[in-house]
Amino acid sequence: MRRAGRLLLISGPLAAAAGCSGIQSALDPAGFDAQRIYVLTLVMTAGGALIFLGVTALLLYAIYAEPSRRAWLGSRRTVLYGGLAFPVVVLSALLPYGLIVMRDTDAPAPGALPIEVIGEQYWWRVRYPAAEAQNEFSTANEVVIPVGRPISISVTSADVIHSFWIPNFGGKIDMIPGRINRLNFTAERPGIYRGVCAEFCGDQHARMAFDVVALEPDAFAVWRTGQSQPAPAPPTPFLERGRDLFRTGGCGSCHAVRGTDANGQFGPDLSHVGSRRTIGAGQFPNNVGTLAGWIANTQHIKPGARMPSYGTLSGEDLRALAGYLESLR
Amino acid sequence: MAGRRTLQVLVMLGGLIAWALQFTLIYGVTSTLCGRGWADKTLFGGGVVPVTILLSTLAALAIGAAMLLLSLKEYRSLQHGTASAVDTFMNQAAILISGLSLVVIIWHGVPALILPACA
Amino acid sequence: MNAPGLPKSFERDRSELPNPLPRPEGEFEGLKKAWEPPKGISFITAVNNTYVGLWYVGTAFLFFILAGILALIMRAQLASPESDLVGHDLYNQLFTMHGTVMMFLFAVPAVEAASVYLLPNMQAARDLPFPRLSAYAFWAYFVGGLVFFCTIFFGLAPNGGWFMYPPLTSTKYSPADNADWWLLGIGFIEISAIAGAIEIIVGVMKTRAVGMSLDKLPVYSWAMLVFAAMIVIGFPAIILGTLLLELERAFDWPFFIAERGGDPLLWQHLFWFFGHPEVYIIFLPATGMVSMIVPAMAQTPLVGYRLVVLALIATGFLSFGLWVHHMFATGLPKMSLSFFSAASTAVAVPSGIQVFAWIATIASGRMKLTTPSLFVIGFLFIFTLGGLTGVMVAMAPFDWQAHDSYFVVAHLHYVLIGGMVFPLFAAFYYWVPVASKRALSERLGRWVFGLMFLGVNVTFLPMHITGLIGMPRRVYTYPVGMGWDALNLVSTVGAFMIAIGVAIFLVDMARNFRFAGEDNAGNVWNAGTLEWLPNGNYATRSIPSVNSREPLWDQPDLAKNVEDGRYYLPGTATGGREALVTSPFDARPQYILQIPGPGWQPVLSAVFTAAFFLLLTVKLIFLSVICGVLAVGCVIWWLWETDPGPVRPPADIGGGVVVPVYVTGPMNHSWWAMIVLMIVSGMVFTCLIFSYLFLWLVNPMAWPPQETVLPSVAWPLAAAFLYVVSAALILWASRVLKGDDRRAPRSVPILIGVALVLVSGASAVDLWAQWRSGLSPSAHAYGAAVYAILSLQIFFVLTTLVMGLYTIARWVAGRLDSVRRTTFDNTMLFWIYTTGQGLVGLLVVYGFPRLGGGV
Repeated sequence: MRRAGRLLLISGPLAAAAGCSGIQSALDPAGFDAQRIYVLTLVMTAGGALIFLGVTALLLYAIYAEPSRRAWLGSRRTVLYGGLAFPVVVLSALLPYGLIVMRDTDAPAPGALPIEVIGEQYWWRVRYPAAEAQNEFSTANEVVIPVGRPISISVTSADVIHSFWIPNFGGKIDMIPGRINRLNFTAERPGIYRGVCAEFCGDQHARMAFDVVALEPDAFAVWRTGQSQPAPAPPTPFLERGRDLFRTGGCGSCHAVRGTDANGQFGPDLSHVGSRRTIGAGQFPNNVGTLAGWIANTQHIKPGARMPSYGTLSGEDLRALAGYLESLR
Repeated sequence: MAGRRTLQVLVMLGGLIAWALQFTLIYGVTSTLCGRGWADKTLFGGGVVPVTILLSTLAALAIGAAMLLLSLKEYRSLQHGTASAVDTFMNQAAILISGLSLVVIIWHGVPALILPACA
Repeated sequence: MNAPGLPKSFERDRSELPNPLPRPEGEFEGLKKAWEPPKGISFITAVNNTYVGLWYVGTAFLFFILAGILALIMRAQLASPESDLVGHDLYNQLFTMHGTVMMFLFAVPAVEAASVYLLPNMQAARDLPFPRLSAYAFWAYFVGGLVFFCTIFFGLAPNGGWFMYPPLTSTKYSPADNADWWLLGIGFIEISAIAGAIEIIVGVMKTRAVGMSLDKLPVYSWAMLVFAAMIVIGFPAIILGTLLLELERAFDWPFFIAERGGDPLLWQHLFWFFGHPEVYIIFLPATGMVSMIVPAMAQTPLVGYRLVVLALIATGFLSFGLWVHHMFATGLPKMSLSFFSAASTAVAVPSGIQVFAWIATIASGRMKLTTPSLFVIGFLFIFTLGGLTGVMVAMAPFDWQAHDSYFVVAHLHYVLIGGMVFPLFAAFYYWVPVASKRALSERLGRWVFGLMFLGVNVTFLPMHITGLIGMPRRVYTYPVGMGWDALNLVSTVGAFMIAIGVAIFLVDMARNFRFAGEDNAGNVWNAGTLEWLPNGNYATRSIPSVNSREPLWDQPDLAKNVEDGRYYLPGTATGGREALVTSPFDARPQYILQIPGPGWQPVLSAVFTAAFFLLLTVKLIFLSVICGVLAVGCVIWWLWETDPGPVRPPADIGGGVVVPVYVTGPMNHSWWAMIVLMIVSGMVFTCLIFSYLFLWLVNPMAWPPQETVLPSVAWPLAAAFLYVVSAALILWASRVLKGDDRRAPRSVPILIGVALVLVSGASAVDLWAQWRSGLSPSAHAYGAAVYAILSLQIFFVLTTLVMGLYTIARWVAGRLDSVRRTTFDNTMLFWIYTTGQGLVGLLVVYGFPRLGGGV
């Protein structure tokens, strides 16, 4: 862990001033890429503020100062120095600085952990390719990463253009059908963060978010091993009833639950849905109640999503089904 | 008459036209070479992308500088003699425009020194 | 070409006025009569700039109000998290329409409209050179724009964002008509904008006050010249983009469908190649206005005139190197992004020059704090801030964070409201006395300014933070607990403050704006430029000769002498409406341009043009085609009355300057307009060739796709031969069409006819060659690109066909001969263009796959 011990991230004064919670903020960097951009932001904000104050002061001076005192300002020299020379000098410094930040940010690093994310209307398919005796597996709406190791996320889209953005870790990258783009970053601070779709992608663009969980390397290894296993069998008869409802209700034609005959690829893989923090693409905390509500009212909660509402299930059935899903940890 | 005016306009806009050509060239070349995976070739001992950008920049600079020198020379000859207001105006505009375009052209060459070719 | 030599008598003592007093009996009455506006219901057939300009400005402002109301609904929805005020469907329509209407129906038309009104006045021209074209542009915009806007009331409004990115807007994801409304709705607005741009270019270059040489041109005219040039270069990209996307939606030609070799990014390139210059297209005219208002308010000439002109020209160029900064997150190589980063940085320099020029001007004079001044000061404040955040987003890494977040919403509104809306309001308060019997109220004006200025900052300043703490754009709602609630509420309050300010402005307009024919409020600001000369429907009584940039300050008694008719052309030479055409650099009188008066043709052809597009949108193909034919018919009816020929011998316009009333060849105004139209066409074609090469680049090893059979080279050779021979015949006809026997040689219509057959044959051969090779336009982007080039060419050949037949008809009717031959010249220019485009198209379509085939 080359970077361990270099955890000197400026926590954002701007963010603090805005009183924000910081789980989805460019002003609260949790990795060096976001950090570098954050410093650039601070430098430009400070410089811009100074220039703005200077221009405003000159403008007010030009209006209100005594004519004899402001006469020096009213010449072609002002335009040449203030309007031409000054910007050229300042921008000649800023441009190379910006280019260097660009070179160092989002740069591929050796030994990076590859993750594939595919944007779909209106959720995220997340795939961890097979590596070192770990099977490949799919999950959804949740990107779990180890801290300290470079991450290389390949993104594309299954339908329209989306954009993948985790403000705390760096900039965004568009997910474009027919193209594979890459985003490189390293998480430096364990925690829960949130990403969103930043490109307008249709009806429910507003409800297309995901959780980002940065874990210590050991915890990540445990998580990864757990996720690559088949789904656990239901431990109680009530939950078995839920599994049967899942099968008879045809859920398996869209969703996969590894280890059962449900192998639909259209919607999110639900093998370990119970382990995820939220449902509905970052919309609600994940528990039996919200799961049941989601299944019964999808089109009411997120109209335009691909999943129909299953409003005809009885309350008991709904609880069993939701309970079964919640048990898939 | 018409020919002289056309020439004046060309000198006046020459720097910016040189920039436009440089811009089209470096963007087109970078996109094509990177898009086709031809960027690992070398040219005059350097990577083909940065070398092309630097050469285009030098060529554009040469054009911009030529416009600047031409208009400065014209400026001196306009000082003595009874130049019309239009000629003086076009000449000074030419000096300013080609001067500014030199800066802009240099700015477009800088990335070649800093950034990787296609990453 | 039968242009006169340059009148030597022009170089005389300037102290002596060209025309003596008293003026002959009836001269002024004749002038007034020629310019009399139509009465009753035919009032709407008025074409001169005072009327059309005002209607145009008014309509644009109406759309500002309407799109503003949409924004208020959005702000109300976003005032609190998880709000249920409007649903996602309506919200997506609202923000799409807000952006589209503000950009296409308000901003561009408003600045174009203002110039239709102001430019001729400022240059002391009687009217723009093509008044009926202005009227056509206005009516197409008025009818089409209103119908387009009404779609929001039926839930049919486009909902894919004003940027309309496919594949979201492709048939697969937007099967309903909403997207078609955008594509076709924007179609006629593009036509209208291009028509306006042609008008402005020719107007600035050729109809000015005598002696208003380039160094004395008002900065506003410079700004409008650059503006129009930018439209000519930039708009063709969006015209082509909308064409391709509509072709994809209607006929399944896969330009943007990745599975079949298309690429969604192609649209983004085309859209932003137009879309970014668009921002400066809106901004430059506004800075031109500010450069007129500041000197008047400070009572001193603009400091750094040359630097400001440099800034305008440099902005015009550099703004075409920015488009990819809207695509920084699309995953292009960093090297490519950096060029756009550099250009985006560079474009800040010209803006800096202008800001400091205004500050220096204010410092060198004595700024009166009138309402126009306040709006200018507010503009400087807001725009400077927007410009600085502009430099921030020019840095790609920062933009990766800010892009598509509320930071960008803040930035763009600072730039557009600061850079365009505030100058426009300054312009309203400043120039209303030219058009109205009363000036607007200074007292109410202060309220308007105060509320709008505070409102804009309260609305948009917090959004910088909202964006950086993670709020993405274009969301109809947002979750609780993200820290965005309070900031959004503040923004909503600010939006309503702006609305109250605008409402007070409307009250002020209702109370004080009274249309003035000849008794306007006059030069209330003691300004120095020519729009403040006493004027009527005929503009100024006589056309002044100027020797400075602020003639009203430097030439004593100018207003009186102009009004007395002591300057050039105090009456009418031909009895009809006229404008004095001057040389483009030195503004020496060249000839008298006979301009058409009121007529139903522009109104009808505009209505039918709009109907053509709108009916096409709702798939009433048959009715649509009928309207299209009627539109073309009305245009021909309109043109039939033009090109009047030398109706009288050269006329004395005063001071011994004798100019003809008709010229042909490169000096003619319509020759210039034709050249501009050819540049527009050339840009459309260039964008199409760019699209072809772009698609080649994203299709390695599949250009053409494996199973494609390239037609034999005999076909393109045959087509090229036909094109060249047809153009040669036209050039031959032009060569022989001169001499004293005006109707000789008799063979002219036959030559044109044969050439028509050949040019039609050429494109038929081209089409047949592709068709028989079995190439399908919908199987792969390759076929789509080939057929797109072919279709564009066929469109041009059909247009040539109409023009050729029209030219023959004029000959047959005796309206075309060796002297009166502007119609022929225009047809000839277009013909040469069509031929050239055809040849390049053949070279690309048949040559390129052989050259780089399959690579």
